[in-house]
Amino acid sequence: MIGALTSPYFWYTTRATGMVTLILFTLVVSLGTLVANRIGGTIVGRFEVNELHRSISIIAMVFLVIHIMTTVVDSFVPTGWISIFIPMTSAYRRIPIGIGTVAFDLLLAVWISSLLKVRIANRSWRFIHWFSWIAFATAIVHAYTSGTDTRKGLGLIVVVVCAGVVAGAGMWRFLGRPSRAAGRTALTPLASSRQATTSNRATDKSASVTTGALTRASTANAQDRTGFTRAPRPSSKNRERR
Amino acid sequence: MGMRRRVGGFVLRVNPILCDGFGHCHELAPELVNIDEWGYPIIEVTPTPLADVSILESARYAVRGCPRQALRIERVTEQS
Repeated sequence: MIGALTSPYFWYTTRATGMVTLILFTLVVSLGTLVANRIGGTIVGRFEVNELHRSISIIAMVFLVIHIMTTVVDSFVPTGWISIFIPMTSAYRRIPIGIGTVAFDLLLAVWISSLLKVRIANRSWRFIHWFSWIAFATAIVHAYTSGTDTRKGLGLIVVVVCAGVVAGAGMWRFLGRPSRAAGRTALTPLASSRQATTSNRATDKSASVTTGALTRASTANAQDRTGFTRAPRPSSKNRERR
Repeated sequence: MGMRRRVGGFVLRVNPILCDGFGHCHELAPELVNIDEWGYPIIEVTPTPLADVSILESARYAVRGCPRQALRIERVTEQS
């Protein structure tokens, strides 16, 4: 029976991957905040921040699965297979493990909805993506209450720092989010109206589809207000363009 | 793939209701997408030949990278 595995390394792996998962999800949430608040475009591209957010989230999910699997497989603590998905079914530390299960269920919703992002409505995906904040909050509580390393020393520091970083990111996200009507990217170099095309096709002669700008009054006034220089920005992609 | 399916062209289309002006498409497909002062895309409307694989690849990156799923690639099959 698989429950007979008594190697102490499962328990060590559980503790270590729990800590790593917490740090990784702190990174993921922070990077997601950077994407949502339109950071990037000068030194690093915005799409690069987005790609980091997506990639690190996959790594974090892998670590989370290892964390959960080693906990269940290890016979040192009597959790059960059912407590992976259903909260409050663990015999060991019922409430703290249950909180972790809640966090995992929420993350599962966020993860599956992101995998199905092209198939579901974007509004649904965004709504489900808000769950990640609740998931992180419950994960912090789970880390503090059930973690054997998080009561003192370095473990406590890690938990406090992670909670602080995400709390700051949350404040920034909710208070400082760019409003749609205010010209949210007007202060970034991306908004310069230089010709984006590097090909020899004459985009200035072709008709263009404009979104958003049609409701604005005067292009010239906005140009004066933004006031940044129109220096040509190097392309974000290293690949050679025709 | 093969040569037969390279006939024709494509245009990148944006859903202006979904678009929130993140600007990722301009970074990922600068050949096709310009950006206005408010960060919204101005997309090339002249069809690009499908044989132009580097631009097609950029367009696919832009579709994949859009945080609002507002972009799609539309094939234009009209023959000249």
